[in-house]
Amino acid sequence: MEGVSYQRFPKIKIRTVRDDFMKFELRETDASIANALRRVMIAEVPTIAIDLVEIEVNSSVLNDEFIAHRLGLVPLISERAMAMRFSRDCDACDGDGQCEYCSVEFHLRAKCINDQTLDVTSKDLYSSDHTVVPVDFSDSSSGFDNSDTRGIIIVKLRRGQELVLRAIARKGIGKDHAKWSPAATVTFMYEPEIYINEEMMETLTLKEKQDFVESSPTKVFGINPNTGQVYVHDAEAYTYDDEVIKKAEAMGKPGLVEIHAKEDSFIFTVETTGGIKASQLFINAIEILKQKLDAVRLSSDTVEADEQFGELGAHMRGG
Amino acid sequence: MNAPDRYERFVVPEGVSKVSYERDTKIINAATFTIEREDHTIGNILRMQLHSDENVLFAGYKLPHPLQYKILIRIQTTSQSSPMQAYNQAINDLDKELDHLKSEFEAELARHAVRQQREF
Repeated sequence: MEGVSYQRFPKIKIRTVRDDFMKFELRETDASIANALRRVMIAEVPTIAIDLVEIEVNSSVLNDEFIAHRLGLVPLISERAMAMRFSRDCDACDGDGQCEYCSVEFHLRAKCINDQTLDVTSKDLYSSDHTVVPVDFSDSSSGFDNSDTRGIIIVKLRRGQELVLRAIARKGIGKDHAKWSPAATVTFMYEPEIYINEEMMETLTLKEKQDFVESSPTKVFGINPNTGQVYVHDAEAYTYDDEVIKKAEAMGKPGLVEIHAKEDSFIFTVETTGGIKASQLFINAIEILKQKLDAVRLSSDTVEADEQFGELGAHMRGG
Repeated sequence: MNAPDRYERFVVPEGVSKVSYERDTKIINAATFTIEREDHTIGNILRMQLHSDENVLFAGYKLPHPLQYKILIRIQTTSQSSPMQAYNQAINDLDKELDHLKSEFEAELARHAVRQQREF
């Protein structure tokens, strides 16, 4: 009794990919899939983050909890996360971080010995696993190209202050705590479809056209300086604000432009913390969503119980 | 103080089954699936996929309460199908769609790398 398949075959077109940024088009599927992928990328793709901190010496101005919290927020390279175990279902240890399958140990030792303020940064964290280290922003060409960028500042020490600690990083998901979220931002928008009624547009004077084009808060339309024609400059700059529609109506020209959202076409923007690559984040999200779907399949005993119930029902009905 | 533990949101407690199925007592070919520790992510994709099934007369989901970490999916079908059949079909179709999406994305990633190389 196999039913007919209603499977869709979505299409993807990548526009930009960088290590921590990606922009792409997703077509021929619906908003539920787009939104599920967005939700999974933000809250369910695992990463590694510091979760347990044992402080040996802390004479800094920040209290122990404050430092522990800051350490937790440091993004770590998490390429290994998908293959790691959650410590709650790790058999090799009792979840106290002594095992390589579910945890990574870090050490930090810093003391200020002169009159200059010492910055304790993520680069002072020594990892027991060379694949799991704090994200390095200093050599990235984008953003700050400050040559003396030394990583993420955890605390500043003055003369005589000291910080010694041991930290355990674990695999986790954003649903548990935002520090485990690999995503800085994940957004999608419906692709707008803009139709200009050229005939009606030609009834406008150049001044009216200019007013119309300028009524949009974002630069969606432009005017060809030679022909004086209004053209779509950047459809995606449209924020569904309806300003141009209202303007057209105010000018007594309803239907001058028609804009509607294509219900099966989405433009995604994915930005990561640097813990995993943006392209890998999307692949992992698909994988996680597949695992989730697999987990909600009916177990065989539920099916059996229903079949028995069904037979019983049939007996009762048959008398 | 008495807030539930954070892991309560996604760890199915021992002795509780992930999915349970209950037939409707009054309407034939109608049933409610209770899925433990899931939310809109799964609920909405299943609902939308079920809507594309011609034999499904009704499909809806709800998250009864933000602190009850479960969703209810209600399905009513024609006599040509059954809620269970429609449910399984929806999962299979979504699974295949995601398989397709993954290979499509990987292929596009490779194509994009080639395009990028040509520009230099």
